[in-house]
Amino acid sequence: MLDKIRFDKFTAFEKLEIKFSTGINIFVGENGTGKTHILKAAYAACDIAKSKGGFAEKINNVFYPSGKQIGRLVKRSSVSSKGALEVTRKLEDGKKIFLRLSLSNHTTKPDKATVSGATKQWIETPMEAAYIPVKDMMANAPGFRSLYQEREIHFEEIYVDIIDKAFLPILKGPTDKQRKQLLESLQEAMDGKVVAKNEEFFLRSKLGELEFTLLAEGYRKLGLLWILIQNGTLLNGSVLFWDEPETNLNPRLMKTVVGILIELQRLGVQIFLTTHDYVILKEFDLQSNQNDKILFHSLYRNKESGEIEISFTKQYLSLSPNAIDDTFGNMVDREIEKSMGGLGK
Amino acid sequence: MKIEADGFSFDFTDALDAFVFDEKDKTKPTYHGLPMKAVDIVAEFADAYVYVEMKDFNDPDLYRNETTETDEEVKARHDNFKWLKNYLKYKYRDSYLCRHAENKVEKPIHYICLLTLDNALNIAMQKALQKELPIGKASKRWRQEIAKSCQVVNIAKWNDNFPKWPLSRMVPAGAA
Repeated sequence: MLDKIRFDKFTAFEKLEIKFSTGINIFVGENGTGKTHILKAAYAACDIAKSKGGFAEKINNVFYPSGKQIGRLVKRSSVSSKGALEVTRKLEDGKKIFLRLSLSNHTTKPDKATVSGATKQWIETPMEAAYIPVKDMMANAPGFRSLYQEREIHFEEIYVDIIDKAFLPILKGPTDKQRKQLLESLQEAMDGKVVAKNEEFFLRSKLGELEFTLLAEGYRKLGLLWILIQNGTLLNGSVLFWDEPETNLNPRLMKTVVGILIELQRLGVQIFLTTHDYVILKEFDLQSNQNDKILFHSLYRNKESGEIEISFTKQYLSLSPNAIDDTFGNMVDREIEKSMGGLGK
Repeated sequence: MKIEADGFSFDFTDALDAFVFDEKDKTKPTYHGLPMKAVDIVAEFADAYVYVEMKDFNDPDLYRNETTETDEEVKARHDNFKWLKNYLKYKYRDSYLCRHAENKVEKPIHYICLLTLDNALNIAMQKALQKELPIGKASKRWRQEIAKSCQVVNIAKWNDNFPKWPLSRMVPAGAA
C-alpha cells in the first residue's frame, strides 16, 4: 500500500506532502492544482518493477516532458533549481520503505537523475497497479502497442500501460464470489460483457458483438473496469488510479461505478481518483459506511503565495475548500442577487 | 434587531420589525397559537418582508445510507427529500395565510430557508420549492404573487449574501 508522497519543487508543487488512506483517496481541486500529477507520480512508483529503466525512466515516460528532458519536471524557476519526489509505501509486515528521485532542471536524461531509497526491496516486492486515464484507449488498442514499441509517438506511457493490463489473460482458477458480484453489476450496467479478439475489444450482449469503436465512451470505461476485475489486475493489495472517472459517463452510471469502487476497497484495493463531479463525491458520501476508509483531499492555491497546498478530511461535508460545491455556491449567490437585489446587503 | 430562534442568533440591522413568528410563549403579543404551521421568523423591511425557516441537521445522514443501497433505502431517501420539501412548503403557505388575515402581505415576500446541507443539495431543494410554493405570478388568474422569491442557503451562504443580517449559532448554555 502507498503510504505517502512528497514533492519538493517538482512539476507544479513547491513543497507538498500527502498522507494517503489505505482505502480510497479522492482528489478535488480546480484545474492546474496538480491532481493528475499526484496520480501519475504515485503510479510510476508502483509500476517500476515492471519497467526496464527504473523510477526515473518511468517518471519520465509517464509525464512525457518536452523532448523527454527529465529536468523539465523540476518546478519552473528563474534560477537553477533542484527538485525531488519521494514515495513511501508500507509493506505487508508493516515496514515502510521509500523511493526518492532527485534531479535538477539541467538534468537531461533519466540516468543522470539520482534515485535513492530501498529500490531493490521495492522491486523485489512488486505492486500491481492500473492507471485509467481520462481519454479512453480501448477503442484504439489494435496496433497501438506495437506502434508504441517501434516508434517515438507522443503519448504518455500510461496509455500503453493500460492497454497492456487490459490484454492480460484471466487468472487461473474460478472467480471468487465477490469479484463475480462486481462483474455482474457491471454487466448489468453495460448490458453485456467484454471479449477481446485479435487486439480488438467487443461488448457481447444479447444483440451480438459490438466493437468498442461503436460503443459509447462511457460504456468503454465500464468495460475496462470489467476487464481489470475479471483478469485479476484489481485484487487485494493492488492499486487503482483513475483520472476523472466521470468523463463521458452518464451520471446515472455513477452510482454503479462508485459502488464498485467502494467494494474494491473493501476487498483490499487501494484507490486514487480525481474528480470535478458533484455526483461522484456525493455517491461516495451516500454509499460508504463508517468502516470504509475514504479520504477526501482538497488541492488549492494559497491566495498569497500562489503555491499549491492541500487539506484532507474523512467527512465529505467538512471538505474545504471544495471547488465543486463552491461552483454551486456561486450559483446560489447569483440567484439571490437576481431575485432579491440589494436586500440584506 | 436581534432575534434568537432554534439555536441561531440573527441581527436584522436594517429591519423595521422582526419577530419570532412561530411564538410559543403565550405571554408575548406575537403568540401564534393557531392550528396552522408557521415559519420561524418574519422580518419587515421598507420594501419587502422576509420569512425565515431553519432546519438544522446535526445529522445530515437523513440523506445518507449506511449500507449498500436497496430500492427501499433509495425510496426512503427520496421520501426524506419530499418530506422536507413539503414541510418547508406548507410552513410558508400557512404563514402567508396568517399574514393575509393580518393584512400584512402588501409588500413582496422573500422566503429564505436555512438548511445545513451543501450548496448542491440546497439548489435541488430550492428548485423544487420555487416550483411548488409557487413563486411569482404562477397563474394567469393571479393578480399578485404569494412569494416573490425563495432561497435555500446554508449558514456560510447566508452570511456571504446578507451582511446586514449577520447570523451565528448560539452557544448552548454550559458549553465552553
